[in-house]
Amino acid sequence: MEAVFIVVGGGIAGVTCAETLAFFEPEKTIILLSESSLIKTVTNLLAITRTLTKFDIKEVQSSEFSLKHPNVKLIHDTLAEVNDKEKYIITKTNKIIKYEYLCLCTGAEPKLIPQSQDFEEILGIRDTDSIDTFIKKINNAKKIVIVGNGGIASELAYKIKNTEIHWVIKDRHISATFVDPGAAEFFLPSLNKDEIQKEPVSKRMRYQEEDFKKSGAALGPDWYTNLIIRGAGDINIPSTVKIHYETEISDVSRDKKSEHPMEITLSTGEKIKCDIIISATGVMAKKLFKTKSDLELTNLGEIQVNEHMETNIPYIYAAGDVCSANWSIAKHWFQMKLWTQARQMGSYAAKCMAGHLNKEEVLQDFCFEMFAHSTKLFGHKVILLGLFNGQKLGTNYEILIRMTKGHEYIKFVLENNKLQGAVLIGDTDLEEMAENLILNQIDLSPYGDDILNPDIDIEDYFD
Amino acid sequence: MVVRQYAQELEYLERLTPHSWRIKKGFQPNMNVEGIFYVNQTLEKLMFDELRNACRPGMVGGFLPGVKQIANVAALPGIVGKSVGLPDVHSGYGFAIGNMAAFDIDNPDSIVSPGGVGFDINCGVRLLRTNLMLEDVLPVKEQLAQSLFDHIPVGVGSKGIIPMNAKDLEEALEMGMDWSLREGYIWAEDKEHCEEYGRMLNADPSKVSLRAKKRGLPQLGTLGAGNHYAEIQVVEEIFDKWAASKMGIEEQGQICVMIHSGSRGFGHQVATDALVQMEKAMKRDNIETNDRQLACARISSQEGQDYLKSMAAAANFAWVNRSSMTFLSRQAFAKKFGMAPDDLDMHVIYDVSHNIAKVEEHIVDGKPKTLLVHRKGSTRAFPPHHPLIPVDYQLTGQPVLIGGTMGTCSYVLTGTEQGMLETFGSTCHGAGRALSRAKSRRNLDYTEVLRKMEYMGISIRVASPKLVMEEAPESYKNVTDVVNTCHAAGISKKAIKLRPIAVIKG
Repeated sequence: MEAVFIVVGGGIAGVTCAETLAFFEPEKTIILLSESSLIKTVTNLLAITRTLTKFDIKEVQSSEFSLKHPNVKLIHDTLAEVNDKEKYIITKTNKIIKYEYLCLCTGAEPKLIPQSQDFEEILGIRDTDSIDTFIKKINNAKKIVIVGNGGIASELAYKIKNTEIHWVIKDRHISATFVDPGAAEFFLPSLNKDEIQKEPVSKRMRYQEEDFKKSGAALGPDWYTNLIIRGAGDINIPSTVKIHYETEISDVSRDKKSEHPMEITLSTGEKIKCDIIISATGVMAKKLFKTKSDLELTNLGEIQVNEHMETNIPYIYAAGDVCSANWSIAKHWFQMKLWTQARQMGSYAAKCMAGHLNKEEVLQDFCFEMFAHSTKLFGHKVILLGLFNGQKLGTNYEILIRMTKGHEYIKFVLENNKLQGAVLIGDTDLEEMAENLILNQIDLSPYGDDILNPDIDIEDYFD
Repeated sequence: MVVRQYAQELEYLERLTPHSWRIKKGFQPNMNVEGIFYVNQTLEKLMFDELRNACRPGMVGGFLPGVKQIANVAALPGIVGKSVGLPDVHSGYGFAIGNMAAFDIDNPDSIVSPGGVGFDINCGVRLLRTNLMLEDVLPVKEQLAQSLFDHIPVGVGSKGIIPMNAKDLEEALEMGMDWSLREGYIWAEDKEHCEEYGRMLNADPSKVSLRAKKRGLPQLGTLGAGNHYAEIQVVEEIFDKWAASKMGIEEQGQICVMIHSGSRGFGHQVATDALVQMEKAMKRDNIETNDRQLACARISSQEGQDYLKSMAAAANFAWVNRSSMTFLSRQAFAKKFGMAPDDLDMHVIYDVSHNIAKVEEHIVDGKPKTLLVHRKGSTRAFPPHHPLIPVDYQLTGQPVLIGGTMGTCSYVLTGTEQGMLETFGSTCHGAGRALSRAKSRRNLDYTEVLRKMEYMGISIRVASPKLVMEEAPESYKNVTDVVNTCHAAGISKKAIKLRPIAVIKG
């Protein structure tokens, strides 16, 4: 078997890469190697600003996908080895496929707390497979410990109902991956489960209709929207969330006879009994195949790619969570293992491969000029732009804040009176302006604090 | 800004006609010419409220009221006639949005200023007509709206509908709508009904930075960015039957499509790059302005010429964008109604630019002059018989398209002789805002947030309203007020009113 392009990985980076190739090279053969028959595609793509897009992820049957992209052939298999000298790959089932261009989008896997090896009650959650097991187990749990402080941990603490939740975070405030302590303070009231109980009844237990299939690829950005996750507690008693700040799990033990069989010990010495422990502490690149030549990796095992998404081995590219951006990074961008970036990298890698094949000049996609991510936390729309937490700036910056309780939280990160980043929570309508102010580096000193004066409407001032 | 009491400020303003006010020299320092602004009763109140508010103690801040910005522009070197504030004028970067100003090209001191064009270069509006009626479209308007931009990014053949790679972009920047025509996206006659035939000939892509080009290329699966849109509209009222019929609009209920788009990120980068260059040029050439945001360079200088050439490239880019949206609109209608776009009579009525600087011939103090006319949030409105308007509109005057903000009414006006004399053939561009408007009362409380962020060791400021407004005026400048003012003042003439029935974000 052979193909001009082989893309490995049925997650969002791989699928976007294959789709983009199908668009640019409709005459060429493309093979998408996916571990599952379900693959993820982007739907409802909406451009919010130049660099910011919002989209949903939909899992489709491979047959549906092939129908849409006739020149993409889907193969369910796992990559075992790459022979980069003779340009072919070998799969787990010993298929040999020749390629001209290979793009590795093998993704990442959850990084579990070390004790997880010994206890099946410690659940990792990142892919659709794990959420399946996860929901079943939660249904029987009255007391849950959540470890981790990223988007998934935050959403779980917000979403799981009718159970007692202990949320263990190593930081001084919640959701530290995305927001500052001020925004965390803004979110805190949302953890009050009384409000969540008001959600429409029709949505309850929706997950039972959802047919989750083992797929291996990561969760979508809105994986929880149709999900009401209930514990085994009294349906009339709302969940309680107790947050344990600045601590980690130092020990885990099991006592089968106890009402809550698990017991964790925190680094503070405190002990908590529970039924299950959810570890949502981030992910690690997943590279479980061999190559003839050595791929250059980071010390975290990520594949290094240059500004054209090329690895050190000719004709081999990489995109998404498995790769690490090893080019001279623009001031307002940095890499984070997010849906948004998986999609951007997948698409851009395809453009680069097509450009290389046709000997066309490819300009680096502008999305790598500025970090931009749109998500939902605790029921609020959250937009993160540029150096939104002062990343790379040390302490050499200023913050300008506007907050209306329960309504909006706006943070501008300023350096030398120029906007470097922004956190926009709620319906602020400021994303377009903030993006342009970051990219243009306009001097904002004349405006002072008035740039966020709630009585001044400056939406089109910079048009 | 000169700090004076409100009552003293008023001494510099004088009513000229029921619909216009004079801004006398001295209102701001170093004014070379006077200013003028056009208002009706409602807009007048907004204008003066804004000034009064700015005069209150403690209000000296970065956001100047529109009337002060008009006066600062009157102090720029080489300006002729008056600095003109149109009825939709509101505070903007450097120049107010809704301000036009003309500079004498033969005067070596004359300047060009990116702030006088705006960041979204050649942001503008295009109107397509159809021979469909409201009852044809109403039952299918939802599907039609949805399918309008569905094909993105798949265009004809393997290429995208918009320039997809470095080479395409380079050509599009140079050729404007000639690129769209060559690629088969538009009809030859579309160009006729477009300012400059949809192509500024002085465009020079080599003057455009690589960053701007990158910022102009599309991301996959989007038409470019968020802030452009199209509306399916219905003719609600015809004020000038004869002019309307010249535009192919025969009766109430007829369906049109209005397209709003500009150069967006690309234009922003062109303007930003130019501002940096011009700050240097100002030091070198000792150009002084009342406001740092009015960064400018002599028209004849390297910086001035480079800006005009890259601005022209951005203008061409915007026309390509509007042409792509035209193509998609025609496709969608054709598909829905099972008829070819020309059988649906989907001609471009006209295409106007709202943010642009152009070289034009005008009469100043009885003498013909070549001027560089800056129009920011302002539309060219040439009178009947002007040589630069197409043959179809020689007798009516140039059609002027006024888009409301998304979802409100839009208008078609025509240019007048009086406008040619008073405002260098310029009129309003749409709705506007006053600087301040008290949104809903806010419960701003930072104590807890600040306490939580203390340990970060970062200096934290909080934004809050300085003072509660004396009154909380409805500070939105309604498009109907704006258009009626232009009509009453005689600087353009109402022809058609349109009402949206569906809005599509691109």
